[in-house]
Amino acid sequence: MGKSFDPSLIVNFVPTLIHYLGVTLQILAASVSLGMILGITAAILRVFRIPILNQFVILYISFIRGTPILIQLFLVFYGLPAILLFINIDISRMEALYFVIITYALSNGAHFAEIFRGAIKAVDHGQTEAAYSVGMNNGQSFRRIVLPQAIRIAFPNIANAIIGSLKDTSLAFTIGVMDMMGRGETLIAATAHGLEVYLSLSIIYYAVVLLFEKIFRLYENRINRHQAVNVSAAG
Amino acid sequence: MTIDILFIWTAFKEILKALPTTLFLTILPLFAGFLIGLAVALIRIYKVKYLSGVANGYVSFFRGTPIIMHIMLIYFGLPLLIDQISAKFDWGFQSNSIPISLFVLTALSLSAGAYLSEIFRSGIISVSNGQMEAAYSIGMNTFQAMTRIVLPQAMAQSIPNFTNIFIGFLHTSSIAFIVSQKEITGAANIVASTNLKFLESFIAAGFIYWGLTIMAEGLSFFIEKKATAYNRGGLQ
Amino acid sequence: MIYLKDIRKSFNQQPVLKGINLKVGKGEVVAILGPSGSGKTTLLRCLNFLDKPDEGIVQVGDVQVKTKKATKREILSLRRQSAMVFQHYNLFAHKTVLENVMEGLIVTKKYKKTDAKRESELMLKKVGLEDKHHHYPSQLSGGQQQRVGIARALALNPQVILFDEPTSALDPELVGEVLSVIKTIAQEGITMVIVTHEMSFAREVSDRVLFMDGGVIVEEGSPLEIFNAPKEERTRQFLNRISRDIPIPYLEEKAN
Ligand SMILES: Nc1ncnc2c1ncn2[C@@H]1O[C@H](COP(=O)(O)OP(=O)(O)OP(=O)(O)O)[C@@H](O)[C@H]1O
Ligand SMILES: [Mg+2]
Repeated sequence: MGKSFDPSLIVNFVPTLIHYLGVTLQILAASVSLGMILGITAAILRVFRIPILNQFVILYISFIRGTPILIQLFLVFYGLPAILLFINIDISRMEALYFVIITYALSNGAHFAEIFRGAIKAVDHGQTEAAYSVGMNNGQSFRRIVLPQAIRIAFPNIANAIIGSLKDTSLAFTIGVMDMMGRGETLIAATAHGLEVYLSLSIIYYAVVLLFEKIFRLYENRINRHQAVNVSAAG
Repeated sequence: MTIDILFIWTAFKEILKALPTTLFLTILPLFAGFLIGLAVALIRIYKVKYLSGVANGYVSFFRGTPIIMHIMLIYFGLPLLIDQISAKFDWGFQSNSIPISLFVLTALSLSAGAYLSEIFRSGIISVSNGQMEAAYSIGMNTFQAMTRIVLPQAMAQSIPNFTNIFIGFLHTSSIAFIVSQKEITGAANIVASTNLKFLESFIAAGFIYWGLTIMAEGLSFFIEKKATAYNRGGLQ
Repeated sequence: MIYLKDIRKSFNQQPVLKGINLKVGKGEVVAILGPSGSGKTTLLRCLNFLDKPDEGIVQVGDVQVKTKKATKREILSLRRQSAMVFQHYNLFAHKTVLENVMEGLIVTKKYKKTDAKRESELMLKKVGLEDKHHHYPSQLSGGQQQRVGIARALALNPQVILFDEPTSALDPELVGEVLSVIKTIAQEGITMVIVTHEMSFAREVSDRVLFMDGGVIVEEGSPLEIFNAPKEERTRQFLNRISRDIPIPYLEEKAN
């Protein structure tokens, strides 16, 4: 299998690999942004039970939640060109990176939709009634009162989903994307030091995850700062 | 490239043969992870000296890195370790006689342990302090209070989380195909490349996973209803 | 039956009990009164080591524990001398009414299941819940839950039963049913320590009243002494404040 373990190689590998972190973050940023649009739209279609579209969204979410991200990746990679060929669009030469972004956007969209739907439902109905009582219409009450509170409720779960998605990007190399993992594979091919490569990759992923967690926690405290702290009396 | 609908069914039947491997790679790690997770959760809750630091690091690292890393680290690392120990003690034992699936199982068990420990921990914490105190007040010791009063409630409340973990690990087992395991995704890959029908094969695999997921959700819903019957009050 | 010597307890350097000395005889019913935060609950919880005192000696029944050297085994046997009825009931949420009462008998008293069942049914009858055996706590009213709590404590046949404001979480119309159950068992000669804000109940049920304030027992005496002729200014103020809604003629009539 590999050669004997040489920890000093990690010092060399980490800088080489971190060079490709940008690709990983690019996938994440694009797929989270697109997923957010998709997720909010899908959640609204679900909450307001828009006929047909609601059923379609249910099917979409069920499918994404029902299949591994790897399978989704392969389905988009092999399926999208086939479908688009029907309408005479040839994307068979499109870069693998875009297939990855599309897959992860679809996946994130479904997860975000479920989180947003739960959060919208969790907002107390009294809030909507209060909004009506000061003369707001449906749309105003949703946009100005319900949605901001729902986003706050949803935030911790969204943050978790984003971190999950970051970890999932480690599978993009299976369709040939040259991100950290892809570069890691080539390093192994060149040096036969698999363990050191994966240790280096683990260190980078772990550091980025910890950093994201930290940022999300700070941000969460910020958006919750106007929330009263529950002081419970000792009895 | 056109889609051969009929081949999806052919592929489906072929890939389904790999179902036992997928279930094996899902259930065994969850079972081991259950034990690891419970032990780790208790160590962290009771802040056991020295061990709780290790436990915290373990959970943080395994939850903070992609599962493919765990598989690869064990796949590359464990043989080196075993060969070194083997050479030192003259066992004449070679790591390449160990099937790869064992490394995958080890890695997935460690991942599952980390995720499950968090579920146990939040489940145990969510059972109110008053339950423990009431158990003490009727003369139970900590072990009795834990096993008879707190854990049963914690487990019942955690069923939805267990379902998510089960589904998560069912899907995660697909990663094993990267180290040539012939579970559903691996089988789909083989069917795909021998027949050069990639899309059809992965559609078939997708249906299998989807079906399994829906069945797991249904089962969990049913069990949860039974297990938390005590929580649905009539009055108050 | 109960003997406390110089019990001290602080939370975060804040002294909550500042040297409590107390003796309670067999069969005695002691009511503890006092303003919020005076340490009543803490004192009760020190009696079964749900809170561990910082200093002092706790004895219940034949079991004496010196706080400084308390071992797990000692604490367990101390706890087995008493039973507690909680303000918020704390019934085992995953067990039925009958199972709640049986649990202590099976686990700590090592009863056989059938014996535990027979005994528990008897206790539930005593608190008037013979028709609710297979309900879960979440399916009962607060008053019913608290009566299960009392049955659970009673079943253990403890040396002492500790009550921490057993009715203060209840709606007013449910208070009566619980108090009358407690009164009945008080008459059976079980030693009881009751923290309560129900003055007329304390007066009726107790043999002795303790008034606590600021972590010390300010005054103690018979209900008559405490309610009619409190010696301490602090006691008088507290009673004035709290008994405004108890008609004075009623108190006077009782006194005579
Ligand atoms: N676990 C704890 N941690 C910190 N402080 C505590 C704790 N338990 C009680 N205290 C403090 O100890 C003091 C006494 O509390 P205790 O609950 O004994 O009062 P109490 O007399 O029962 O009051 P109430 O009538 O409101 O129930 C209070 O100031 C309370 O804040
Ligand atoms: Mg109290």
